Amino acid sequence: MKLLTANRLTDGLTLWFSAAGWSEDAAQAARLDDDAAEALLTEWKARETEVVGAYLIPLSAADAPVQREHVREFVRANGPTIGQTADEIARLHGRADIFQEY
Amino acid sequence: MYVYDSFDHAFVRDRNAEFADQVARRLSGELSEDQFKPLRLMNGLYLQLHAYMLRIAVPYGVLSSKQVRKLAHIARTYDRDFGHFTTRQNLQFNWIKLADTPKILEELAEVEMHALQTSGNCIRNTTTDQFAGAARDEHEDPRPWAELIRQWSSNHPEFTFLPRKFKIAITGADRDRAAVRVHDIGLHAKPEGFDLYVGGGLGRTPSLGHRIKTGLKGEQLLSYLEACLRVYNRYGRRDNSYKARIKILVAALGPDEYARQVEEEWESLDKAAIDAPAAEIVRIRSFFPDPDFKDAKFDRVAYERAQTADKAFARWVKNNTLAHKRDDHVSVTISLKPVGLPPGDASSAQMDVMADVAEQYAYSELRVSHEQNVILPHVPKADLYALYTRLDAANLSTANGGKITDMIACPGLDYCSLANARSIPLAQDISQRFADANLTDKIGDLQIKISGCINACGHHHVGHIGILGVDKQGIEFYQILLGGRADENAALGVITGKGLPAEAVPAAIERVVQLYLQLRTSDSERFIDAVERLGRNTFAEALHEPA
Amino acid sequence: MSLLNSSHTPQLVTTDGEIIPDGWTLLADEETTGVDGPYVLGFDRALKELDGLNGHYGIRVNPGDDVRLLLPFIEKITLIEVSFPGYRDGRGYSTARILREEGYTGAIRAVGDVLRDQLFLMLRCGFSEFLVKDKDPVQAIAAAKSRFSVFYQGAADTNRPVWALRHTVES
Ligand code: SF4
Repeated sequence: MKLLTANRLTDGLTLWFSAAGWSEDAAQAARLDDDAAEALLTEWKARETEVVGAYLIPLSAADAPVQREHVREFVRANGPTIGQTADEIARLHGRADIFQEY
Repeated sequence: MYVYDSFDHAFVRDRNAEFADQVARRLSGELSEDQFKPLRLMNGLYLQLHAYMLRIAVPYGVLSSKQVRKLAHIARTYDRDFGHFTTRQNLQFNWIKLADTPKILEELAEVEMHALQTSGNCIRNTTTDQFAGAARDEHEDPRPWAELIRQWSSNHPEFTFLPRKFKIAITGADRDRAAVRVHDIGLHAKPEGFDLYVGGGLGRTPSLGHRIKTGLKGEQLLSYLEACLRVYNRYGRRDNSYKARIKILVAALGPDEYARQVEEEWESLDKAAIDAPAAEIVRIRSFFPDPDFKDAKFDRVAYERAQTADKAFARWVKNNTLAHKRDDHVSVTISLKPVGLPPGDASSAQMDVMADVAEQYAYSELRVSHEQNVILPHVPKADLYALYTRLDAANLSTANGGKITDMIACPGLDYCSLANARSIPLAQDISQRFADANLTDKIGDLQIKISGCINACGHHHVGHIGILGVDKQGIEFYQILLGGRADENAALGVITGKGLPAEAVPAAIERVVQLYLQLRTSDSERFIDAVERLGRNTFAEALHEPA
Repeated sequence: MSLLNSSHTPQLVTTDGEIIPDGWTLLADEETTGVDGPYVLGFDRALKELDGLNGHYGIRVNPGDDVRLLLPFIEKITLIEVSFPGYRDGRGYSTARILREEGYTGAIRAVGDVLRDQLFLMLRCGFSEFLVKDKDPVQAIAAAKSRFSVFYQGAADTNRPVWALRHTVES
């Protein structure tokens, strides 16, 4: 299983590919099987006027990225972990954490 | 400070128009991301973990009140109400929209600022002594030379696509507060001319610069730099970006051979076409006079009484002020390291306060230090208490200048897409452990520097205690280095064994500090002196002792 | 979404914004020079053979080639092609400047990954022809020439550095 993530070209915000297209909320991210994920990645890599830096995050369990990327993807999904700069999107969605803290 | 003339204004206007055109072509799809990336980087625009980051150039760290107010305005209008002062004497905004950048650059141009060459493989902002023009031990003001270099390096047609980034630092004082030996080129102004060091740097292959020239006349500085850069541009490695900095070339050729090639190149250059005439240097110098120093009557008795009455003020005076070349003035460090908050961050409201107090008490002049603090270089002692009170009300009076909690920390994995580990939360944890000001005063001067990866933006190699974030199968680990220093006796810290998990770091540092307190010969033996006297191993053991 | 600009077939344009045909043939190192010149020789071959050749040649200079080695033969050279395998490789700028400093007056042509955003720098470094990938090379040259009115350094073009202007105005 994989997640597809990218940044929006115009404002750079982190996006997650969901059942309803791109979402700013990581909790909406669709769990994609590997073939579908690769196909979507190829498609979106070419659509450079919409998103940039698309890549796949491999999941070890349904809600956890594999170890190697765990911290990075946790921060990417939830915003900076430091008080003064809490990510507004995470707050907007009423969630402190999107991936579980390990 | 330097004031733009019509030429300088026209240049920034033209350059901003060029970038606006590049942004428009990227948005329309005429430029691919691959093609656009170096162009946006040349304008300080990165794509980070969460959004675009815009790095604004603060030329040689010098700011006016008006400029700081503009930065506050940008933070409020285009970002999330705060900015981050960096170890390169610049300012970063973390949540910038690509489509907004042309407008932001226009706003910056109104106050003679820009984001040019704050990234990319070009000549970056020249950094210098944050106390330039104020310090007692200065014999040559480095700012006019830094401005000369700024102009020469702006849009340099030959050196815009170098093998890698290129950083120049310059100092004109006995004490080297600009860390010139850990820059690609370091310049130390001496009465008989410049000493020029080349090939210093941190990152993956830390090294100290080699002196390849002494007595270089200021009037020939630009042509000599041109020769240095040309040899680098032609022969620096381009096959591996980790080996592309000039230090690798200098190490491969040997400093003597590199110097020989530079001399040969220098001989072949048409110096008169490159070196600005003496009249231009005189013109630039004329922008850096002393401020119109107030001869305010300094009431020593009242000043001392205030310190007796207000212990916190006394501590702040002791830790956050530096002797000025005039007895009735001091230089003030505004610490951006309050206990428990991200090092180097300032809210827009705090920026406004700093701009206001600088205007009222410090001749409207501010500086950014590579320690990520803001400096008021000239403050009449008579105004010190009033200034302190204003800063205190804005949570800007932390009295920890040069102390263990005055840490340098790069943005790390909370923002940076290159990071292996977080830096800021670790800095917060350490500062909480040393929150007791009596304890930090007792410890004295101790610099902790934290980087979230080997790129070393947090200068961990030259921290008395350096901390480097590494990634071990997705878990953050921290390697601890001991014994680095960035001053005129520059030395690189050495890694002390296995990495530690984040939770273990503050306690490990506390053990080292306790050991130092036991072993020091007197209060005046600083941590770094004790490490040098007793050897790193003495302290390394304490780091790794089980708690 | 418009088309990627660099996907257009490269066209040769001069400093004056004229589209010109490329009359030169790049010879592979083993090819013999026939009668159908003019030819562009590879750098190493040029160093070996130019001494014994008559006539005028073009030379292909790659990043990393020390262009000063061509100076003994400069009378026989009327074109130097400076290649940019990727546009982030900036060695070609030094190559062109050195040629102009040494007094070479023939054509210097930028070839390879040559995009509109580099033309300004190339003009300043002494290039005179550009094999540029752009939908409108003429406009690209015009834009590069008019983009800036201020130049902080002396270079290979005729633009005077701003310090010279500042101090002429004053005296
Ligand atoms: S040191 Fe590494 S993690 Fe820190 S800011 Fe630099 S690149 Fe990012």
